[in-house]
Amino acid sequence: MNFTDEIVGALASYGVPALYVILVVAAAGVPAPVTLLLVVAGSFVAQGDMSMTSVVIASSLGAITGDQIGYFLGRWGGRKLAARALHFVGGEARLQQAEDATRKYGGAAIFLSRWLITPLGPPLNLTSGITKYPWAKFLLWDVMGELLWVVLYVQLGRIFSDRVETVADTLGNVTWLAVGAVIALVLGWKLFGYLRSEDSDESVSVVAVEPEKKIS
Amino acid sequence: MAERFKLHGLHGRGQWLVAVGFFLALCLTGVFAYRVLHHRPPPTDEPIRGWMTIGYVAHAYRVPPHILYPPLGLPSAPPAPPDKRPLREVARAQNLTMDEVRARLMDAIIHARPPYPPPPPPPRPEDVVPSPNIGNTGGAPR
Repeated sequence: MNFTDEIVGALASYGVPALYVILVVAAAGVPAPVTLLLVVAGSFVAQGDMSMTSVVIASSLGAITGDQIGYFLGRWGGRKLAARALHFVGGEARLQQAEDATRKYGGAAIFLSRWLITPLGPPLNLTSGITKYPWAKFLLWDVMGELLWVVLYVQLGRIFSDRVETVADTLGNVTWLAVGAVIALVLGWKLFGYLRSEDSDESVSVVAVEPEKKIS
Repeated sequence: MAERFKLHGLHGRGQWLVAVGFFLALCLTGVFAYRVLHHRPPPTDEPIRGWMTIGYVAHAYRVPPHILYPPLGLPSAPPAPPDKRPLREVARAQNLTMDEVRARLMDAIIHARPPYPPPPPPPRPEDVVPSPNIGNTGGAPR
């Protein structure tokens, strides 16, 4: 049994309801070939087998529903888990830092993870819940991002309706390129910060760990 | 002694993890940048997959859909309504493997394209003779 064939074939067999269900599950974190699914849906729209309106509504609602599941799993369950693993995440102070960073940059991260760096979507849903990112803001960025993603991919499927696998492959490569670039940018910036701060503290004894023993 | 193994500027496991993560992210970016820049669409039509419908295959290969039904043992559409099942379901229903489905479809497609003559138009509903029912005078013969 080919997993992709089964998932995408469900679209042909069951239509728009299958689209909704698959997107709920995928957005909640279960890996599924949703890029190909949306592009194929666009192709079916181009051939007159499905309506654009129903595809966009079902897909967006499905993705948003799945995102809400991830968010509330993080909000209700993840926080307890994070509290138990405080020494792994760097203590309460580090968790507070993550919360502050999420509040500052969370909107942009949520929006981009809906349509550009989509593999980071499900983990960001969880972390948004864990760090108590305001739900109304989460929903707003989520809806905007998912609508953009669905319309973009379905339209690409309509335009390249006879080459859906090629389009889906290209989109997959572009997505992972964007993921790599964003992670490299974030980690590179962090690394740069470490190297800069170490340069100014070269004379500091590396053995010392208590802040009050640092020599300025 | 631990200091000898620390590279200049990086201290602690956390910072090392960030450095390793940065390096891996750069590798990931490089690999997918290469794939994007060197991606070439296949020289021939896209391979036939189990999720595709007969209508999609006809659309992708630019052949009239009605020529793809008879090779699979299905009534020609039109005049029958189009079959919207994925090919994997059609294969199961017709007791065929996907390889057999692909082979039959490709054969029909090849024979619908140049240098072969163009396929005939789809049969009209009125050209289809209904099966005679017992006790019924039946439809008008053509």
